[in-house]
Amino acid sequence: MQTVKMVISGAVNAGKTEFIRTISEIEVVSTERRATDDTRLIKKETTVAMDFGRIAISDDLVLHLFGTPGQKRFDFMWEILAEGMLGLVILVDSTRPETFRETNRIIDFFVSYRDTPYVIAANKQDRPNAWSPEELRLALRQPPHIKVLPCTATDRESVKNVLLELLYVIQERSED
Amino acid sequence: MALVGNIRDFSLSDFLSLVDRGYKTGALHLSYNDQTARLYFEKGKLLLAARRPEDEKPELLVRLGVLNADQVAQACQALAARGNGVTLSQVVIDAGLVSAERLQSALMSHTEQSVYGLFAWPEGDFLFEHNQRPAPDAPLAPVPISIDHLIMEGVRRIDEWERIRDRIPSTDLVPRFLAPPGEKLKGMRLAPEEWKVFARINGRDTLAEIAQKTGLSEFDVCRAVYGFLTAGMLELVKRQRVLAAGMPPVEQPRIKKSLVNRIINRIRSM
Repeated sequence: MQTVKMVISGAVNAGKTEFIRTISEIEVVSTERRATDDTRLIKKETTVAMDFGRIAISDDLVLHLFGTPGQKRFDFMWEILAEGMLGLVILVDSTRPETFRETNRIIDFFVSYRDTPYVIAANKQDRPNAWSPEELRLALRQPPHIKVLPCTATDRESVKNVLLELLYVIQERSED
Repeated sequence: MALVGNIRDFSLSDFLSLVDRGYKTGALHLSYNDQTARLYFEKGKLLLAARRPEDEKPELLVRLGVLNADQVAQACQALAARGNGVTLSQVVIDAGLVSAERLQSALMSHTEQSVYGLFAWPEGDFLFEHNQRPAPDAPLAPVPISIDHLIMEGVRRIDEWERIRDRIPSTDLVPRFLAPPGEKLKGMRLAPEEWKVFARINGRDTLAEIAQKTGLSEFDVCRAVYGFLTAGMLELVKRQRVLAAGMPPVEQPRIKKSLVNRIINRIRSM
């Protein structure tokens, strides 16, 4: 059985757990705990370890989805999760510009030392005052070739679209 | 859809940079305690900055000493007669009440001072309304003002490493021009220290080396480079850091196209 891995990252409350939950074929394995620091201002419970979801591709191939912990003190987990990943989805809460700096830090971490295929998912596009993907591209200073996609993490079609767009990026770099 | 946030989290310099690079047209509304301000942009350039409602009225030209009250009244009458699509500034210039250069200079100076004052705000809510335009009788600069040097001015006021480290995590990085900087430089007014840094950028030296060669502190070099980055002139590259440390760059595993296609087909069918 071959397994491949995609990583879903983003700042606290960007929607990582929801994103995986929406597409995973198994009950998502989450380690959520009552928040003990300033994240409790945003959500009562937050992912302190990681989320894990799974999609069976065929009898001999499985796609694993890992959501990174959002809090800074769990940065060390990111390196472990990044090892051997197929690609990366960076989720951004499009309604909270106060998380854009943190999002940039996360992008920088993942793409600094490896040529990681990634896309940015502009989550919560269904909410009022959501910044559009094009505005997020400017705010996050992403070059034109990086895909910044509209996303609603609770909507299966939207999540599928983000994963497919990432797969198209990976496909372009893959070998025959 | 309006863009909302707080300049504590997404600084005014960052917002100006977004407007500049996105060629945005609209009005930026700012509020902090009992103060408010409104900035109007046309295709990424600044038309007007009002720290109070009176700054958007024709009488501003009297306060700036450009026209007297009778001339303003005359211009307003002419504006009403000429109808849509004409600005007060055009009317004033066409009527020969003041030269375009004098009007531009007075309004540019007033606008810049208004924006500089905003950089002192430690926080403040912002709301950017797309395509909102000033009233026809607002005293607009005849030539929209480039905001590159306003961005630099905002960056000069940064006195925390933390903010700079968001974009410059290490002094081992090498700054490199994205394109020949000539066009961008036209709108900028650099301080002597910034020129020193600018002149040392060669795509090979790290920030630490530039600090050493210019005799400036690493903070001052990084602050100047942060400004160039915000103005969209530079990028930072990491080549030296990975190789000099003797570490091989992390290679992505080579993936077979057939495997990717299988995953794509599966996701499509879900």
